[in-house]
Amino acid sequence: MTERSARPELGPPQSPMLEIGASVPRADAWAKVIGAEHYAIDHYPLGLLWAGARRAGLAHARLRGVAIEAARALPGVVAVLTAADVPGTNRQGIVHKDQPVLVEDHVRHWGDPVALVLAEDRETLRRALALVEPDLEPLPGVFDIAAALRPDAPTLHPGGNVLLEAEISTGDTASAWDVCAAIVEGTFDLPFQDHGFLETQNGVAQVEPDGILTLTVSTQAPFRDRFEIAHALGLDPLRIRVISPYLGGAFGGKDGATVQCLLALAALHVGGRPVKMVWEREECMIAGYKRHAARLCYRLGALTNGTLHALDCQLYFDTGAYAHLGGEVMELGLEHAGGPYRIAHTRMRGWAVYTNNPIGGAMRGFGVCQASFGFERMLDRLAAALGRDRLDLRRQNALRRGDRNAAGVTLVHSTGLAACLETLSRHPLWLERDRWPDQAPPLKRRGVGVAAVFNAMGYGRGLPDAAIAKIALTPDGRFRVDSAVSDMGQGNASAFAQIAGQILCQRADAIELVQPDTARALPSGSSSAGRTTYSYGNALVRACEALRAKLLHRASLLLMVDEPSGLALLPGRVRHLPTGRDLPLARLAAMLPETDRVSIEQFVMPVSQEVPDTGKAFVIGFPHVLFAYAAHLAYVEIDTLTGKLEVCRYLAVTDGGRVLNPRNFDQQIQGAVAQGIGYALCEELRLQEGRILNPDFARYLLPTSLDVPDIASLAVATVEDTGPFGMKGIGEVGINGPLPAIASAVEAALGRCPSQSPLEPRRLVAEVAAPSASDDAPR
Amino acid sequence: MKIHLILNGTPREMKVAPDRRVVDLLREDLGLTGVKEGCGSGECGTCTILVDGEARLSCLLLAAQLDGCRLTTIEGLAQDGRLHPVQQAFIDQGAVQCGYCTPGMILAAVDLLNRQPHPTREAIRVALSGNLCRCTGYQMIVDAVETAARRMREGEDA
Amino acid sequence: MTQVLIPTSLPELWSALREQPSAHLYAGGTDLLVKRRAGLLDPAILIHLGRIDALRGVTADDDGLRLGAGCTHRELLEDAQVRAVLPVLTQALQTLGSPPIRAMGTLGGNLCTASPAGDTLPPLYVLDAEVELWSAGGERRLLLRDFILGPGRTALQSGEILAAVRVRRAPHGSVQHFEKVGLRNALACSLVSLAALVQTNPAGRVKHAAFAWGSVGPTVIRVPEVERHLIGQPLSLSVLSEAAVLARRAVAPIDDLRADADYRRQVAGNLLLRLAETGSAPER
Repeated sequence: MTERSARPELGPPQSPMLEIGASVPRADAWAKVIGAEHYAIDHYPLGLLWAGARRAGLAHARLRGVAIEAARALPGVVAVLTAADVPGTNRQGIVHKDQPVLVEDHVRHWGDPVALVLAEDRETLRRALALVEPDLEPLPGVFDIAAALRPDAPTLHPGGNVLLEAEISTGDTASAWDVCAAIVEGTFDLPFQDHGFLETQNGVAQVEPDGILTLTVSTQAPFRDRFEIAHALGLDPLRIRVISPYLGGAFGGKDGATVQCLLALAALHVGGRPVKMVWEREECMIAGYKRHAARLCYRLGALTNGTLHALDCQLYFDTGAYAHLGGEVMELGLEHAGGPYRIAHTRMRGWAVYTNNPIGGAMRGFGVCQASFGFERMLDRLAAALGRDRLDLRRQNALRRGDRNAAGVTLVHSTGLAACLETLSRHPLWLERDRWPDQAPPLKRRGVGVAAVFNAMGYGRGLPDAAIAKIALTPDGRFRVDSAVSDMGQGNASAFAQIAGQILCQRADAIELVQPDTARALPSGSSSAGRTTYSYGNALVRACEALRAKLLHRASLLLMVDEPSGLALLPGRVRHLPTGRDLPLARLAAMLPETDRVSIEQFVMPVSQEVPDTGKAFVIGFPHVLFAYAAHLAYVEIDTLTGKLEVCRYLAVTDGGRVLNPRNFDQQIQGAVAQGIGYALCEELRLQEGRILNPDFARYLLPTSLDVPDIASLAVATVEDTGPFGMKGIGEVGINGPLPAIASAVEAALGRCPSQSPLEPRRLVAEVAAPSASDDAPR
Repeated sequence: MKIHLILNGTPREMKVAPDRRVVDLLREDLGLTGVKEGCGSGECGTCTILVDGEARLSCLLLAAQLDGCRLTTIEGLAQDGRLHPVQQAFIDQGAVQCGYCTPGMILAAVDLLNRQPHPTREAIRVALSGNLCRCTGYQMIVDAVETAARRMREGEDA
Repeated sequence: MTQVLIPTSLPELWSALREQPSAHLYAGGTDLLVKRRAGLLDPAILIHLGRIDALRGVTADDDGLRLGAGCTHRELLEDAQVRAVLPVLTQALQTLGSPPIRAMGTLGGNLCTASPAGDTLPPLYVLDAEVELWSAGGERRLLLRDFILGPGRTALQSGEILAAVRVRRAPHGSVQHFEKVGLRNALACSLVSLAALVQTNPAGRVKHAAFAWGSVGPTVIRVPEVERHLIGQPLSLSVLSEAAVLARRAVAPIDDLRADADYRRQVAGNLLLRLAETGSAPER
């Protein structure tokens, strides 16, 4: 029954020990580099049908009917469905159920689906979609925030065009301005941003012989999807199974229903045949969710000594045709509107507004990415007005643990901003900043910019942020983690393997990761909000510890030792240390029934125990208590002839608690910064009366390898007591820095910076040409 | 029409619709789903394959054009059960995140290193500039190609 | 279903064109197949030109270079003669599309697409390039600027193909310069581009100048007033600034998604100032 431990270590040498803190290679890398990983889009079940949606093609209209006869008559067309075919409520939405699966009578944006076509092949589908004719009566539309708020504006929804209006206030702003030595103001406009994930929204669905509706979807929220589908189509959520393979990117854009309800509806009509739906790039952009366009109006005041004293701001978010998470996006924006600073007196008001534009939804750093432009521009202007160094002013006001933030919440958890700013201040790129502009070549101007940013983690108060982890010893003596939160590329699955490997003392090849499947895993929320690794990881820590304890107890019985204290888990075995006897895990597993080989544990993220007497409009989401922080630095060069801006060097210093895997940490930071550089430089949805003029990669421009510099990423040494091994989520904070840091650098170079993003050549060339530029440029 | 080609080292004769896009032929007819599609219009590089050893966009190739060609997809890059040095370097250097751009990115890098064994970082960035990646910010991909280039040179020296 | 014909010789091509006069021709497919996917054209028959050896290759003689229309951008970029004789073209090719687009797209395709934003056009305009048009019946030659009639329109007649481009050597000591302004550094359509060919005397005075702008009119634009203005002048910032005013007056840009007309007009003039940057051939 036992073996001596003289024989060589188990496991091939290339399978590393999974230890926390080491840059072990990602668990998913091997399958991805050989092209073997099956994403949702790679599933082609036998006998599949192709489904496609006919989009309205008008941003606001009365839908009088849909002519489907011609499409239905086309050979190879299996079904053409309209709203009349939708059982259930025909409504979807994460918080507010206001978005139809198929439009009944009111088209609210260009990409609204009016019919669903099912065909034997894609070519037939394409032709049939063109034959579907919606009968549309155009309605006057609202295409920007100001238009939506006019009293006589056409309304999109029964409650009017304001999805949510809210205020977060602290102190007494009425009198606070009087003592301010400097007051700065600004209004800023930011466009819709597209996620630009490479795998477009897609999935397959099928009603199984036992009546279970099974979907394999590129989704961030498989468990919630069941309820979305069930609510919209009048089904039993527990008769729906959602499988979420590795995603080809998502960044928030696959949080909420994309293809799910359409696919489910299709599957209900084809007698058990599988149905596949893939949105092409153009449809992905037209019908998919976006980062909200926003307008920010800021007023910030400071005392003579530089202490931030009073803030008044109004943040307007264009949530487009449907709510999605518009109210929550605005909540995050407001909660972060004061920046990562102490401000005694704040009045922050926000509006999430419906328009006939594309749907604003979740995207990495939602709400905060926009607000960061506002508060950091204000800090730069204040520094100029006070004659202060930009970094120094930020360090003076930076939030520290124990402070109340601008939303009135006491920071009881790790708060590493000061350490980030300190690290940045000692970095050669900051110390040598004066050389950069001095060495500008002819016809170029150069500047250095800084930004301090933060981002809340988790769902916030009112919506328990919980995860339930499941790990099992397999019959062959390995461990299987049933992940319940999707891996959209951020590497949480690899982190789970590392956590399990660390606690159970196993090599990589002993940990099997199963991607979320609602039939196997347990509800654990969405892959979003910087909470994926934190929440599920915490649950997994507990599950692994419980499993370890259990296995050692069981092993003690098999090894006939009195108690488990002398037993240790080692790669592939349990060893009795006093005698050196080994029990292979496969042997142990064989002795245990399946129910005894499993460990399931739950974790719920802490919430604020202090409920500020403000933000009452937020039923969920306010406040948050856990934040990641970062300080960013950018070197830019602007061509004076063309206005073209290059980001030449970049530094990101991040407080994400303890780093579980340094390389994967840097992956997240560099990727977020690159996406933020796109947001700062060239990414903008161009709209004309609600129609996207650039719904493809030829005209909506993502940064290429020649547009992003090497990015230095440093982590500060904080520990978050509540996090798994001390970590915090850092998926989002990195995207908040580039726009303000680059804007700060532009102002340093030109003496001014556009208040509208992105910072495109056409905007910068105008600043270059403007008179009296560089006199008061910050250094 | 009937075409002959060598696909991942194996001679094949196939009956194809001449205007079928090569990306569809590979993914849907031949099950080579390591070939990805991101935009369908040559703007993302996700569908990159090697045709006669050079990187090509399979969304802008028609099946008829393949007659007589030698094709390599990501599935055919590893030889004798050993990863290509570029594949190994992508794992080692953290160049893989969501992995959707990875097959095309790797094949574009292989094309570069076949022609230019000593590329600078700048040359690597140029060579990969037709392959979009939304996850990594490109830096670790450039690191990986540098690493692969070094290992390939050292392998030749050895 | 679209039929795809792949002739491997000129006789095969002529016979295919005779039998299928409505066929669309393509080489790299980087333009035509994109338009086909977008539903902008739905050809019943396609003729692929990629396997006709007579359309490939670069040859040199005393006068200059002959560039096969079937050469891919990558082949031209890697060609030592093109690099040596036509650096302005090499510079433009470096900015064209992306490496895979350059590996697939051809010179002939770029010219026949006749986009004012086509990156090979401005260099070939300043070089006064000629095109060789072949048909079953014979050959004719046209100046490139006479070949391009408007956006998407050329002088190609039915049954005719673009076979080659002929470029004379620039006078010894000429500065050749190309700059393209895009919204990113690869995979970018030009907002404005400028090709320049300038010859100066030993005193640094301009003897000959040719400039061609892309993306600021329905076709590539040359501005004789600018070229005349510079004759006998040094390439100083002030002289070039005067020329820039003339250039801005002459170009005819439009607003589109990528840039507005005012920006294009402004920058079309500004780009001339780059020639003063170093006083000699600016290398990119």
